[in-house]
Amino acid sequence: MDSIYHQVKEFIEKGETVAVATIVSTRGSTPREVGAKMVVTAWGEILGTIGGGCGEADVRREAIEVIRTHKPKMVRVDLLDDISSDSPAVCGGIMNVFIDPWWKGREEESSEKR
Amino acid sequence: MSQLVEELLRAKEEGAAAVLATVVDAGENGAVDPGDKCFIRDGQIKGGTIRHEEVLKAILREAEARLREERSKLVPLDVPEAGGKIEIFFDVTASPPKLIVVGAGHIAVPLVKMAKVLDFHVTVIDDRLLYANRERFPEADEILVGDMAETLKGRAITPSTYIVLITRGHKYDEPCLREIIHGQAKYIGMIGSRRRVKACFQRFRDEEKIAEEVIERVYAPIGLDIHTETPEEIAVSILAEVIKVRRGGKAHSLSGK
Repeated sequence: MDSIYHQVKEFIEKGETVAVATIVSTRGSTPREVGAKMVVTAWGEILGTIGGGCGEADVRREAIEVIRTHKPKMVRVDLLDDISSDSPAVCGGIMNVFIDPWWKGREEESSEKR
Repeated sequence: MSQLVEELLRAKEEGAAAVLATVVDAGENGAVDPGDKCFIRDGQIKGGTIRHEEVLKAILREAEARLREERSKLVPLDVPEAGGKIEIFFDVTASPPKLIVVGAGHIAVPLVKMAKVLDFHVTVIDDRLLYANRERFPEADEILVGDMAETLKGRAITPSTYIVLITRGHKYDEPCLREIIHGQAKYIGMIGSRRRVKACFQRFRDEEKIAEEVIERVYAPIGLDIHTETPEEIAVSILAEVIKVRRGGKAHSLSGK
C-alpha cells in the first residue's frame, strides 16, 4: 500500500480529518494510473499527486469540502482541454476520483450506526 | 480508522499481497454507505466498516480475482440479498515481484541496481564468493553462494517470480534452466547466442523429451532488441523484457517508428 498511509496515520492520530483522493477509473490518456492517490489536509496541503494541473486543483477544492462534511464524494476530472491551450489538462482523458474522509473515530461511528 | 491504518501499514511493511475494498457507490442498497471499507489479506477480512455478510462474501470473491490480476479496479457488484447493485473500488497491493539473478558477473551488477530501483525483491546466486558478495551487490536483498542449479532448486518460485540466467557459460545456464523450466516462474530469460540457445533447446527436446510449449516459455536469447553494446545497456534490455512480460506490453516505439 502507498506510504501515504503513514501520513494519514500521523494526521488522524492528532485528531484531524484528512481526505484520501484515489483515481478509481480512467478513460483515454491520463497523467496517472488507477490507484494513484493523494492526501489533502483540512488546510489544503497536498501530499502525493494524482497528476497535477487543474484537475488536481479541482480535487483539492472538493476534498476540503469532504473534510468539512465528512461525506465521501466522487469527482469527475476532465482532461479534454484544447490541445493548443496552455492548460496542463490536455492529456485527452477523463478520470474519476473518489474522495474519502479519514478520521480517527470513523470505524466506531459507523458500527454504532447499525 | 486507526486500526485499519495500522493493518494497511503492517501489510506494506511485510510485503504482503492485500486489497482495500471501498464502497464508492451504494446505489439503492441501504446495506452499505459510500466510503465503507473492508481490508482483505491472506484470504481473510482484517478490518473495516462493512458488516453485511452477503456484501462481504461478494467482496471476498472479487478480491481473489483482483489479486490474481494484480490490478486495482472499480467493479460493480450485484448483491440481491442486500438490495441490489453497489460499486466497489478494489485497491490492490501486489506483493513485490521477485527477481532471481543467476550469475553474478558484469551484467548482474547494473541489473541488480536497476531492478532495485524498479522495486523488485532481488536475489543473486553464484558459486563464486569472489563475485557474489556485498561489495559488488550492496542493494541486493539476498546473495546466495553455492552450486547454482542446486541453490535454485531450494527456492520458492511463484507466479510473481522472474528468473534471469546470466551465468558465465551455457554449461552452467543449462542445468539451472532444467531445474526451473517446469516451475511457476512468470518469466525465465537465458543469455546466449542464437546458435548456443538453439543447441541447448535441441538437447532438451532430444534428451529430456521436454515439450515444445514448455521450451517456448523461455526468453532466449534474453532481452529486447535495442541493439545493446555495454553491460549496462544489456541490463536495461533484460529488465525492459521483464517489464513487458509483467505488464503485458508490446514493446514497440509508441511513435510507431
